[in-house]
Amino acid sequence: MFRKTLIGLTALLFVMVSVSFSFAADASGGPGGNDRKGKYTYRKVYKACAGRGEVSSPKPVVSPADKTMAEWKTIFESRNFEAFGCLEEWGNLSDKDILDIYTYFYNHGSDSPSPAQCQ
Amino acid sequence: MKSNTIKLITVLFAMMFLAVGCVGSKDPKPAKAEWMYDELVDVAFVKQHVTVPMEENVMIIDSRPYKAKYVKGHIPGAVSIPWTKFDEKKDLLPKNKDALLIFYCGGVECKLSHKSAKKAKSMGYTNVKVLPTGFPSWKKQKGEYPSVSAEYVAKVVADNTGMIVDSRPLETKYNKGHIPSAISIPFSKFETLKGKLPRDPATPVIFYCGGLHCRLSHKSARESIKMGYTNVKVFSEGYPAWKKLYGASAQAMAVKAGEVEGSIDLARFNEIMSKNPSSIMLVDVRDADEFAKAAITGSVNIPVDKLEAKAKELPKDKPIVFICPTGARSGEAFYMLQDVMPSLKDVFYVEAEVTFNKDGSYKLKKTE
Repeated sequence: MFRKTLIGLTALLFVMVSVSFSFAADASGGPGGNDRKGKYTYRKVYKACAGRGEVSSPKPVVSPADKTMAEWKTIFESRNFEAFGCLEEWGNLSDKDILDIYTYFYNHGSDSPSPAQCQ
Repeated sequence: MKSNTIKLITVLFAMMFLAVGCVGSKDPKPAKAEWMYDELVDVAFVKQHVTVPMEENVMIIDSRPYKAKYVKGHIPGAVSIPWTKFDEKKDLLPKNKDALLIFYCGGVECKLSHKSAKKAKSMGYTNVKVLPTGFPSWKKQKGEYPSVSAEYVAKVVADNTGMIVDSRPLETKYNKGHIPSAISIPFSKFETLKGKLPRDPATPVIFYCGGLHCRLSHKSARESIKMGYTNVKVFSEGYPAWKKLYGASAQAMAVKAGEVEGSIDLARFNEIMSKNPSSIMLVDVRDADEFAKAAITGSVNIPVDKLEAKAKELPKDKPIVFICPTGARSGEAFYMLQDVMPSLKDVFYVEAEVTFNKDGSYKLKKTE
């Protein structure tokens, strides 16, 4: 019983540490990536996606102001990108690219100081 | 006889426990002397508050003499307020009297941090601590490293007594100016370029990047310590502090880079626009209807959505500067050009809040 509890706690600790390292917050509490670069990378995803015909327009349909910062945090930390479509392109992104896109969405979420400005 | 044996075993066990306790304690609390400040912390407490950048309401203060001690090594992020210059430099302390202040100096026998802490408390600061084991206990932490100041780096450069490593991106930062003799190992390429580090792991290595908010040099330092380098330091104040003290190196350009990757220095941008605007190509990446309402005199309009198609038409003989109201579209334009036209080197964007006036003038406000 004790051994099982110990193994369980160790596994839980590992998961918690992994999650906290995967998207370590910066000092301001944001994801800490490059949101300018993230915006470009995000648009590039749809350009490639439109190029192979999955979507009709290269203009992204999901914008940062569609959800709150907390909602984006949940989506990106769970790495569930189904709502964005173009999963093939999302699958080809590096961790750094995803962090940059996450930062772009988080910094311009509907409850951020600058929601989806300068689109 | 049996009772004596049990007593003996009990005493032996007790002694073993005491011995283990002594060995296991990495940062033993020093015996408290009368002259000591009353709120003492250990190095583990300090460690959790050493962040890059430093937390807004936390300040670590080095009470030792600046030139003799602080310059040669201090806790990363620590501010120098030597006890002898406390009154002169007390304005460096945070305005928030509830901010956490941690003072340290040269170890358990050093009184400077205790005196400083008492003085800060008398000024109304409510959350004042002292690390009585001081800087020596920081240096003993496994995997940690000290920070050094520009004066120390200058001496290493002059005497050729160590390797200086620039952890910033090569093209957008290093090539536009770096500390003399520094080699470029951008942190993003550390794994592939780490072979450029000295063969002898005892060689002093100093990493630097873009200042107190930049983490690249710290990440590089940790990686090199993991590799076995034993004399690793970080010049935390980085290239901005170097330029302020010693000026830019010969590679510095007419268009000066700003603090953010790809951005132009705002003061230099204003200078160029007032003295010689034709020396750059200013590209306004807003939509055509926005541009028609108000635009900067001399700028050309290429909406960011159309930029990729027109990238080949951009000039190669002068710097290109992108501009929009917040830096979002102009930043996107910068990264787009990095991607599709990497041969264009002199490309920047204005990272600021920009107001476009109908008379062709503009106003910049630094992005917060």
